[in-house]
Amino acid sequence: MEDDLMIQERLVQFVCRNYIVDKEDIILDQSLVDQGIIDSFGLVEISGFIQSEFQIIVAETEMNRANFGSVLKLVDFVKRKKAS
Amino acid sequence: MKKRCSQCILSENFPGITFDDQGVCSFCRDKSFLQTEEAAISKAVLQVDELFDKVKASERTYDAVMLYSGGKDSTYTLYQAVKKYGLKVLSFTLDNGYIPDQTFSNITKITDQLGVDNIIFRPSNNHMKSIVKASALYPIYNKRTLMRISSVCNSCISMVNLQSLRIALEKNIPVILAGFTLGQIPVNSIVYRNNYNFLEESRLKSLQLLRDHTGQWIDNYFILPEELQRNVTEWPTMVNLLCLEKISEDEIIREISKLGWTAPEDVDGCSSNCQLNTFNNYIHDQVFGYNPYELELSQIIRKGLLDRRTGIEKVETVMPDVFKKIADDLEISDDEIITASRQYKK
Repeated sequence: MEDDLMIQERLVQFVCRNYIVDKEDIILDQSLVDQGIIDSFGLVEISGFIQSEFQIIVAETEMNRANFGSVLKLVDFVKRKKAS
Repeated sequence: MKKRCSQCILSENFPGITFDDQGVCSFCRDKSFLQTEEAAISKAVLQVDELFDKVKASERTYDAVMLYSGGKDSTYTLYQAVKKYGLKVLSFTLDNGYIPDQTFSNITKITDQLGVDNIIFRPSNNHMKSIVKASALYPIYNKRTLMRISSVCNSCISMVNLQSLRIALEKNIPVILAGFTLGQIPVNSIVYRNNYNFLEESRLKSLQLLRDHTGQWIDNYFILPEELQRNVTEWPTMVNLLCLEKISEDEIIREISKLGWTAPEDVDGCSSNCQLNTFNNYIHDQVFGYNPYELELSQIIRKGLLDRRTGIEKVETVMPDVFKKIADDLEISDDEIITASRQYKK
């Protein structure tokens, strides 16, 4: 659980800093794309960020809405990758 | 007169900006941006070396497709791709109907000198005008996308990206090269896999809006045919090669002038290849209150590769004759521009 919160905090921090958005404006269980926070470049950036920040490798087949669909989905994805 | 940061050229209307007592903006005060950039560049250098070694060893007709606008940055990038990295490049140019004659002359000279094959794709004039007009007058893209690019430029670049991806897949070319600088693209986007299926989802909403204001026919320019998607085994890698070079605009121009490149006179200070740019920047300024080049140029200024005064001159250049000519050509009135400026504020 603590791990979840730490991953979430780092992700949210990255999004806030790079996309000039307040923490309170991010709805954690909704798509960042749908919220108008990021675009396709944002997806590329987040993919690059989680790979370097959490030392994981994201396969092409894993780049989908199920894994990247929201901050919470990203947290879950990172956690699973770190455990595997 | 707009208030601007005393160190870079970001202005008071830029999203999220604050100024301290000395008039220094929050982006200049956050030094970690430059550190993050250096780390990203170092990582990208290694990725590029490894990728290009692998690509060159595979003995293909073309190693890379280059998004070649004929402007100074893409000309220098093409030169680097061929001479420094030894790539076999197929260059690709989108003719949007607003490219000066001098730019075409540059494209011919440079591709001939470098021994590069070039494809020019010119969408029909009616279609292009319709896309430009819809992009200029309606809120197609989200505001954050437009922090670093004008709406019309974004549509043009999307077409360029899609058409180059199409060429890469049809001709089995593993790399797509572009001459964007950091500031034009985010820092983690120097090298990335062009996974169309993954990225396309993020564009669906804006594409539908664009379709609503133009027609279904835009799919030919913005959507990858399904049969091509089905047969993909590996998506091409996008490389923004210019981000790896620490070089000033003056040095770039000096280098490419040796190849015969000449700056066109009928473009504004922010472009070296497209007349539409001056129109796009004016509309963007009317809608959002700042020039879309402020972010990119400020980043170049922070790195010491451009002086602040030149940066300000670039974003404050006004070319009323060019603007009027394009507005007339697109049949866009002043009233429509005022209405457009209200659309994003809703």
